[in-house]
Amino acid sequence: MSDPSSRADHAPRPTSSGPGRVLIAVYAIFALSATARAAVQIATKFSEAPVAYLLSAFAGVVYILATIGLAGSGPGRRRLAWVAVGIELVGVLAVGTLTALDTADFPSDTVWSLYGRGYGFVPLVLPLVGLWWLRRTRGR
Amino acid sequence: MIGALVIVVYVATGLLALYGLVRTAQGRHPGRDIRIGVGIVEALLVVQAVIAAYRVLGGGVTLPEQGTFLIYLVVSICVLPIGMQFAVTEPTTRWGGAVVTVAAIGTGVAVWRLAELWAAANV
Repeated sequence: MSDPSSRADHAPRPTSSGPGRVLIAVYAIFALSATARAAVQIATKFSEAPVAYLLSAFAGVVYILATIGLAGSGPGRRRLAWVAVGIELVGVLAVGTLTALDTADFPSDTVWSLYGRGYGFVPLVLPLVGLWWLRRTRGR
Repeated sequence: MIGALVIVVYVATGLLALYGLVRTAQGRHPGRDIRIGVGIVEALLVVQAVIAAYRVLGGGVTLPEQGTFLIYLVVSICVLPIGMQFAVTEPTTRWGGAVVTVAAIGTGVAVWRLAELWAAANV
């Protein structure tokens, strides 16, 4: 992937304008709900399923970083958004597949369990839209 | 939770979500109209939150997941004002309405979770 640092009229467009704002709003809501949920789970019943709750917290952090990356401007924030949304996609696919194969190890308690079925599969669609938007706005 | 009020809140957030979409479809930037809409829904949410918080903290209702309930209560009143601020600070595009739609749906889901948590204690 070429570094979008060339000047002139092919500069990257900001990810935070136009439909990007709708995307950021969805990311912000997921950041808030995943993080708050994980915080409560870890504070009240951590020993019941430590792996699942740590995973919830990790997902929350990924959503926060993606929100910050998409809402900001400049190459640094864009790189942060690429990495966070990429991790998000890998995470939802990995956790989704693991939970679909065997639910014993994971209570269906994380955002990414069963490809995000508990959240209307939005967690599966969101990183795809995010990557598409980053690609579309990157300039040449 | 507070029976009838929950239904009213569902309808209000649903209408607000639709209105945001209509605004985006029309290509119009949200203005005074959407502020009024958000204001009305927000007033309903605050009334609901005050009643629920009073009944949980002072009225003797015991919930199995009280901490979660109170967090959702705070979320239910915070999301719309923040969402609207985010929607109107970009002056030039049609997408502000859709941002309000996302915030309204998020709020509706939070209220739905509240009602579920409430029902768990009062079956």
